[in-house]
Amino acid sequence: MQAYIIRRVVGGAIVIFMVGTFVFFMMRVLPGDPAAAALGLDAGSTSSEALNARRAELGLDKPILQQYGDWLWNAVQLDLGNSFQNRANTVWYEIGRTLPYSIELGLLIVLVGFTVAFPVGLIAAVWQDRWPDYVFRTLAILALAAPVFWTASIATLAVLRLELFRIEVIGQPHLWNDPGAAITWYLIPALAGGFAGTAATMRLLRSQMLEVLRQDYVRTARAKGLRESIVIFQHALRNALLPVLTVMGVTVATIIGSQVVLENMFNIPGIGNKVLTSFLGRDYPVTQALVVLIAVFVVVTNVVVDLLYGFIDPRVRLA
Amino acid sequence: MSERNYWQRMRRQRLSRRALLGASARAGVGAAGLALVGCGDGGDDQQQAAPAPSPSAAQQQQQQQDQPAATAQAQQQQQEQQAEAQAQQQEQQEAAAQAQAQQEAQAEATASDMWGSQGVTPKYGGWIVEQSANVYETVDSQRTVASPVLQVLARVQSKLLRFANPNRGILAGDLAESWETPDETTVVLNMRPGVKWHNAGPGAANPAAAAGRDFTPGDVVWNINRQKNKVLEDGTESPDFGRSSYWGGADVLGLTEESVTLQLAASDPTFILGLANEFNLFNQPELTIAYEDSHTEISADKVIGTGPFILTRWEPGEGISAVKNPDFYGLPERPYLDAYVWVQTFQDPNAYRIAFEQKQVDSMTDPNPNTIQAIHEASGGETWLAYNGVANTVAVFTPSNKDPWRDLRMVRAIDAAIDRRQLIQQLHSGFGRVSGPVTWMQEAWALPDEELSTFAGYRVDKDEDRREAKQLWDAAGGSEVGQIDWVTSQLWASRAAWSATPGIIATMFNEAFDTDQFNGITKPYLEIIPSWNNNDFDPFFSWIPNIELPDARPEILAAFGTGGGSNYWEISDAWLDDQLTDALQDTDYDSAYEKMAEAQRYILERGQFGRNICYNYIVPVMRYNYNWAATTDRAEGSGWNFLANSVHVFEQWLDTDDPSIQGREPEPPVPL
Repeated sequence: MQAYIIRRVVGGAIVIFMVGTFVFFMMRVLPGDPAAAALGLDAGSTSSEALNARRAELGLDKPILQQYGDWLWNAVQLDLGNSFQNRANTVWYEIGRTLPYSIELGLLIVLVGFTVAFPVGLIAAVWQDRWPDYVFRTLAILALAAPVFWTASIATLAVLRLELFRIEVIGQPHLWNDPGAAITWYLIPALAGGFAGTAATMRLLRSQMLEVLRQDYVRTARAKGLRESIVIFQHALRNALLPVLTVMGVTVATIIGSQVVLENMFNIPGIGNKVLTSFLGRDYPVTQALVVLIAVFVVVTNVVVDLLYGFIDPRVRLA
Repeated sequence: MSERNYWQRMRRQRLSRRALLGASARAGVGAAGLALVGCGDGGDDQQQAAPAPSPSAAQQQQQQQDQPAATAQAQQQQQEQQAEAQAQQQEQQEAAAQAQAQQEAQAEATASDMWGSQGVTPKYGGWIVEQSANVYETVDSQRTVASPVLQVLARVQSKLLRFANPNRGILAGDLAESWETPDETTVVLNMRPGVKWHNAGPGAANPAAAAGRDFTPGDVVWNINRQKNKVLEDGTESPDFGRSSYWGGADVLGLTEESVTLQLAASDPTFILGLANEFNLFNQPELTIAYEDSHTEISADKVIGTGPFILTRWEPGEGISAVKNPDFYGLPERPYLDAYVWVQTFQDPNAYRIAFEQKQVDSMTDPNPNTIQAIHEASGGETWLAYNGVANTVAVFTPSNKDPWRDLRMVRAIDAAIDRRQLIQQLHSGFGRVSGPVTWMQEAWALPDEELSTFAGYRVDKDEDRREAKQLWDAAGGSEVGQIDWVTSQLWASRAAWSATPGIIATMFNEAFDTDQFNGITKPYLEIIPSWNNNDFDPFFSWIPNIELPDARPEILAAFGTGGGSNYWEISDAWLDDQLTDALQDTDYDSAYEKMAEAQRYILERGQFGRNICYNYIVPVMRYNYNWAATTDRAEGSGWNFLANSVHVFEQWLDTDDPSIQGREPEPPVPL
């Protein structure tokens, strides 16, 4: 087990290193000048000298390999530098400011997604080809087909027109300091993100359950006179969960993708919002750090999922 | 035509230099107009010294020749007395005319007129929440090229003069209470007494700040020389000072406790308008020096000013706020508002719409006028619209400084093929007006629409334009050039309402030239801007930099004059250089206008040399009824075309009794 974890950690570190290197060079290959980025529309009147001075200030006048070496050496020492766009802010400050929002929204999306997906998938499987199955399958197809921004827009318009509740888009409350305002702020993006994430999980769980429910050991369990709930939850569900767990690891990456959209739509200053604005503004240090951070998160999530295999199914040995 | 009438009225009230000198001490509001028409009128001086003989004087001259010498001396003495009396009478009339002109101008600029004429009385108190950008590149107003920095600092810092009516070029005093122009090249600024630097807020708490000290004429000199010399306190030259060329032509000639006298290198009637330019904000020397090395690190404690609001928070991406300066110029009647709050730009229109509809922000705009119209109609009469001309001129940039565009016929073909009216319809739902080399927003200097529509590219009969464009294209061998990628800026195309622009532009040219050579692509400004600066850009369609002054002459000279600051096409035309320079230095409006008009015709006949100005669009800004942002006329929805901050900062107020305020939060959305 220990050796397995060490192998996965080393493998993950290599992946993260490769992602960091890739994003470093890709950012510099892309057209665009970070020095000009902050100057916006009016930069047409800026002199070349001013732009060159700004490039020097940002360290962009050095050879690219030297820039890479500096970045790597500093990153190993956990010095990620300062933002190009907001020079007063270190990259760590930007991460510290944005990460809590993304964690809050991400957890709510996961909560909505999986708390809906599991019962719905189970119900659809148990009542196969009856009306709950048809309804939930239709909804699942709709959720798969509808882009997350469309679902969120429709929900927003409904809230505005029906004056259901106030959506806080300025105050930027956290769940721990103003739970009421935070919940109303996160509600629509969490529902929209969760709705989108539900579909794939629900459909996979349904099909796995249908397969498991036809297995001999389930028939045996029922023949032994066990209650149906014990048959479903203890015998069938546990065996149906393994592939679902694998999908959940991938779903986390998908959720991060949808968070980029949702955080922008609802003015949530999270990682997704920041990675987009820093990328468009060619804020190299912030973009590099956030992409690496997301890579770390995905790698860790998948390691955790692998470890959970053994916990859910003792037949799986992680050696 | 109102702007034209303004300039013409000022011409009619033209004064002699003597009268101007005599009354200069009284000069104040509206002196920009006087500077434009009053100075350098040599003919007037001559007329004063030797008035044209009247019929009676001529008769007396004839009689004088017939009289004996003994009586001639007495008659001559009498004649001289009469002439002197006539001169005095004329001078009195001129002085009266000047006083009337000043009174009229002052009446136009008086703030209370704005609300009085609309039948409302402003209230005091409350705050306004607006949206602003996420990214600010500096805290130094003199080292920025970006409007977001100025949007904030316009509330915090002061200029020497400000626009009371930017559409019509009407000036009012700011740090300089009044000003005089004793001759063509001298400007005397009479400084407002009792002005103090902010004595509250994080900036004032900064140990480097001399908070609360008097603003002195020495501060004016420091700010001018800093920009003019482009040198920081440590002696290093900085390329960041974008207005160094403006100040480069001015020297501080004299300095007293009450006034600053500037000497211009050459006559420039637009100089006084430039004092009210949005970029000409004044920094506090001590604090600015302390942070010259870290001016790109944004923080509220690095800025104080003398303006009506004190900056209390400046955290990009989080929030910005400013509170009322209780000691603003010793004028308790200004400003009306207690505070301004700026929230970060909404990256997505959805968030902006939520914020507006739930009254978390007090105004909203969108590139698509139909979006604004729809929200306005859904608001149940709680909102009003103001139609603002947008100072970012939309243009096609054809690189006439490199092949194959060096052939003027190619450039003329492009200019003729641009379907300006169709673009306004397709991209702006008809909210816009075609612009020539001088835009319609600078109407006092633009060609009239009737004349503009006689030039290729501007004709109402677009088929005629297309025929001419095709002939020029074929004659220049355009069909042999191969594929042409026409760039649209990504920032432009990122707006949902304008996302089809690359295809529209390509189709427009393909149809005009009956070809399929044109291909629409997008590029980021990050790529376009350096190529501008290197005069090596690909043909593109987008905005060009802001119009900054109601007077178009400096901008046109910079764009078309040899070596001009925005002459990205490397245009070098001796006739045009002379014409534009003459126009710039001409202090007589009629004569200057004719020179400018002639230059514009010359430019239009040459396909605008590749600087193919298309149009300026109009954006409706929607506000709740409780938000009395300054407009020219709220009932008509006529807003400011540009430089609006100059007016809003003094005149905006909040009507706490208006029913539309129901549902607005009782506290500001961020800490002040």
